[in-house]
This record gives sequence, structure tokens and C-alpha cells, in this order.
Amino acid sequence: MTFSGKLKTLALGVAVGVLGAASTAGAADIIKLGLSVPLSGSGAIWGKGSVFMCERAAKEVNEAGGVTVDGTAYTFQCIGYDNKYTAAEGTRVAQTLLNREGVKFIGGSLGTAPAQALQSLTERQGVLMFTTAWGASIKGPKFPLTFTQMNTPFEILPLLIPYVKQAHPEAKTLVMLNPNDASGQDTEAVANKVWKDTGIEILSSDFYERGTTEFQPIAARILSLNPDIVDLGAMPPADAGAVFRELASLGWDGIKVVEVGTGVDGLKATGGDAVEGVYMGAAVSFEGGEVSDHQHEVNEEARAAIGESLNTIQIGFYDAVYALKAAMEAAGSIEPREVAKALPDVTFRTFYGDEIGFYGMDNYGSRQQMKLPVIVTQVKDGKLVEAARVTPTGN
Amino acid sequence: MQTAIQLIVTSLQIGAVYILFSLGLTLIFGVMRIVNFAHGHLFTISALMVAYSVPWLAGNGFPVLLAYLTGAAIGIAVALVIGFLIYVFGFRYFQRDMVGSFILSIGLVLLLDGVLLKLFGGAVRPVPEVLSGTVNILGATVTTQRLALCFAAVVITGMLYLALTRTRLGKALRAVSIDHEAAMLQGVPYNRMAMIGFMIAAGLAAVAGALIAPVSIVSPAIGADYLIKGFIAVIVGGLGSVPGAILGGLFVAAIETFGGFYFDPTAATIAIFVLVIVVLLVRPKGLLDNG
Repeated sequence: MTFSGKLKTLALGVAVGVLGAASTAGAADIIKLGLSVPLSGSGAIWGKGSVFMCERAAKEVNEAGGVTVDGTAYTFQCIGYDNKYTAAEGTRVAQTLLNREGVKFIGGSLGTAPAQALQSLTERQGVLMFTTAWGASIKGPKFPLTFTQMNTPFEILPLLIPYVKQAHPEAKTLVMLNPNDASGQDTEAVANKVWKDTGIEILSSDFYERGTTEFQPIAARILSLNPDIVDLGAMPPADAGAVFRELASLGWDGIKVVEVGTGVDGLKATGGDAVEGVYMGAAVSFEGGEVSDHQHEVNEEARAAIGESLNTIQIGFYDAVYALKAAMEAAGSIEPREVAKALPDVTFRTFYGDEIGFYGMDNYGSRQQMKLPVIVTQVKDGKLVEAARVTPTGN
Repeated sequence: MQTAIQLIVTSLQIGAVYILFSLGLTLIFGVMRIVNFAHGHLFTISALMVAYSVPWLAGNGFPVLLAYLTGAAIGIAVALVIGFLIYVFGFRYFQRDMVGSFILSIGLVLLLDGVLLKLFGGAVRPVPEVLSGTVNILGATVTTQRLALCFAAVVITGMLYLALTRTRLGKALRAVSIDHEAAMLQGVPYNRMAMIGFMIAAGLAAVAGALIAPVSIVSPAIGADYLIKGFIAVIVGGLGSVPGAILGGLFVAAIETFGGFYFDPTAATIAIFVLVIVVLLVRPKGLLDNG
């Protein structure tokens, strides 16, 4: 190589080095929040809304000066990957987020199966993970880096089911139907016990495959049992609406419950008038004077972006950002294990407007569950109305 | 007895759509010897266009029935245009090439998945009730909408069957399906027949999508469930066989209905897959052999 060639090579090397150092210096002030969510298939609406809410909260935090730790201001960046609501894709997303993106914090993971796939890596690699997955087996002292960002059946059902029973004391029998996956099975296990404790006889508890579009046979089976209550557990709203529509066409008109039903838009889209009176435990009403300007504004933005009102799943992704900010500043560190130690003791401003912390000693043996209000909603005159709201107590 | 009638009527209603869907799949396989996984997306596009246009038209003063018919025409037209583009720029180059067409159709599935999600979002679209009320058939309750859907499916299937057996075009399509080289030696223009067969199949998917839109869950993911059931129907009946597709569609619907009623929906789904395994073991070419 000639002298001039060596000089050019050296100059190129220095330039690459400087650029690399500059980009590393810039990247050091950004905290990546990995998201494992369904962005295709029937769960895409939840996933897209979740990414929207993470980005919205990150934008608010960043514009307010970011996260200040040890004199350095960090900004959040949300990175979402499509887990297709399956364990297989969840595993691929987990590897991408942790090994390629170098993510140290999971701002949210949606779907029990993909969340479990992600957790198998996060706990081992020291990554802090937020999840909407609601199985009791996913958290506890064995998983110190895992936190839940929405109410689960353990929080929702002990309030929702007695509320329904109290409103309809004449009801004696029930049929349950859930998706045949980890989310559905976890919900069914809790619901089965709480309904029985309430004195309701369970005539049948079935599972169906997600993605089903024909619900006539299911409706015919339910009708043959003639229950007072039909509880569609963890069914997505659109599927639940379709079941209620088929039941109505066959002449059934009883008490309708979607325990972890997340919204009225999908329910009405397929169910029409047949969804009148449905009780839900994971939906949020944006009707009425108690809704703040901020909630209204964010919901309208979300409706424009994703086509539906926000639900508690998506709101969990917003809350996780604020919880992480509070814990990082309290810990004075951005090391995931230090942040995880601080998280159970911090409080933060939730999207619902309250200052909340974490609890769960009774159910999980550790404080890894956000202390969110439990909201019972009902469809009345085609609109979602808040029927009851309880802020949980306990540790 | 009333339960049995209700279940039979339900099977026929569900089967009607499966038949329309699987007829398209079997026609494409018969004429071009390819398996088109993007078939479900033409069905989806039509259903989505109906779901978007009907509320808009109804909101702009159209009576609901007229809005639906207009929306259905728009949906079928759009699906046909996309089907034509897919054929001209894609499948035309992979006729009778199983591996090439398989890779192409998987690529198309991924592409169309992304495009539909981007254009229409993931939210389920409501379609207003077109025909209200229910009808009582020997004690079984059927909604008027479902009955109309069933009637339309029967008429279309009958017309297709007659066209394939009685017209010159139908005979040419069948000839190509049985032995395309012999058909060409007899002067049948194979390339034209392939395109016509593909477009008829695309039309069947589009009609099925437009018919199902008012009674189903319309989202960009709607085609996946029907694609699986449609494939099972044609495998059970015999790939390429029109009567096989009809028989297979009814078979799948009956198992889904009776299995779901007497056991549970998951057991019915498992039973459908067990059925495919049994048929493939006992009659590898399907109940009525390949067309």
C-alpha cells in the first residue's frame, strides 16, 4: 500500500471511530423500552394501541425533561415487535429485543404465552419486564424482575362477580366460554372458583380457538343449557359480540358478562343491540364528567390512530413508563436490578389520575402488581357506563 | 328432533360459505395445479370493502339494502382487480409449479397482511343489519340474513356447476384440469383458461367475502379461519374436484356444528383435523378423488 493509501485508510478508520463514538455517546442517553405485542392478526388492535400509549407516555416524559439519574437526563424510546400472540413468535421477539436491540427494560408484553417466552430470558439476563399477562405463576419472589401493568382476574373477579350477583339475585346458573390458551385458562380457573363461592351453579365451562369466526354452533350449545348467565371470560370483545348476537337470534336474553372485556367498540361492531347490558371488568369509560381533559385528549388521539377507544391493557403500557421513571429516579440508577428493587416502594401518577404504587403480597407473595383501580362497566343504551370503581387496599 | 333440525340448518348455513370459498381453491388447483394461500385475502378485501362502504353509503342517505348491494359490488370489483394483478404479475409465471407458487403465495400473504393492516387498521368493522328478523324452519330458528346468504350461495354454486358441465368454457376448463397437454392439442388455449379459472376463483372468494360481511367479524384477519377450513374441505373432498369441494365444505361444517354442540368447540376443531388425517390415510386423493 502506498503512503497516500495508508493515509486514506487511517483517515477512514478515524472517521468511523469518531462516528461510532458519537453514536454511542448519543445512544447512552436513551433508555430503550422493548415491547412484545401482537401487531398482526386479531390482537393487532391491542398491540397497536399499546405501542401508541408507550410512545405517548415517553413523549410526555421526554418533553418534561426526561429521567434524571445521577445528574444525567435520559430519554425513553419505545421499540415494539410483533409477537403474533404466540409463544413461538414471542420467543423470537424476546431474542431480538434482548440480544439484538440490547434492551434492558421491557415496557410491556401482551399475551400470556409470548410473555412467558420473554420472561424465560429477562429473568436470566437481568432485564426488568412489565407484562399484562395475568397468570399467578408469572410473578412472585421467584421472578423478582417481573411486574404486572394491568389488573388481572385475581384483582378484577372478586369485585365484578359479586357485583353481578348482587344486581341479579335471581340468577342461579351459568355457562362459561374462554379462549383455549394460557390467558383463557388462567381466567377460567379464577372465575370458576369465584362464581362457585358466590353460589352460582356452573352448567358448562368450554374453550374455543382464537380466530374462530363462526359462533353459531357455540350459541346453539349454550342455548341448549339455558343458563341465567353467560360469562365469556377472556374473549376478545369482537368475538364476544358475535356470540351474544347469535344467542339473541336464537332467543336467549339473560345476564351477559365478559369478565376481562376491554371495550365496547369491538363488542358493538359484531354484537349490535345484542350486547346491551353486558358487564365488563377491564374496560374504561370515557363518557361522563369525571373524565379529565388529559384522558379525553389521549383517547381521541388513540381513536384517530387505531380506530378504537383505549382499554386497560393499552393504558398499562402508559403507566409502565411513569412507573419506570419513578423507580429509576428513586434508585438513582438505570441498572434493571436496582430499579426492580426500588419499584415496589415508589408511587407514580397513573393514567387514571391517581398516585399509585404496587401491591400483591396476599396473592403473589411479593409486591409486583400495580395498585390500579378496579372498574366495573356496563353497556347501557349502546354506551359504556362506569358502574363501580374500587381502589384496592392491602399490601 | 328440534335440536337435530337446528344443528342441520346451522351446518348448511356455515357450509354454504365454506363451499363458495373452497370452490375457488379447488378451481385454481384443478386448472393451474397451484395452491393459492392468498385466496383468503381476496375474500378479506371484499369483506373489508363492504364493511367500510356500507356504513358510509347508509350514512349518506342510501337505503341499507341498496348500500349493501353497492358495497358488495365495490368489494367484488376491488377484489377482482387485485386478483387480476396477482395473476398477471405473479401466478402467470408459476403455473403448474408447486414450489414456486407456494413461495409466491406465502410472500403475497405477508405483503397483503401488512398492506391491509396499514390501510384498514386492526379494528373490527361493523356492518349494519341488512335484512332484519328471523325465520322458523321446522322449529329451527334462522336469521333472515343467514337464510339469504345460504340461498345466494346455493344459487351461485348451482350456476357454477351448470357452467362447468354444460358450457363450452366449462368443458374447456375441465379438459385443462384433467390433462392440459391433451386439451391444448385439441385447441384449448391453456393460458387463457388458466386466467379465466383464476379470475372465477377470485370472484367466488370475493362473493363469499361480500356475503359473510354482515354476519361475521370483519377485520383484516377474517380470511385466515376460512382459508384453513377451505383447504380442509378441498383435501377431504379431493383437490381439484368441484363436487368434492361441496361435499368437503358440508362435512367440515357438520363436524364443526355437531362436535361443538355435543362436546365443545375445541373438540370440534380437533375432530376436523383428525378427519383430514383419516381421509389422507384411507383415501389420499380425497373422498371423490382429484378432479
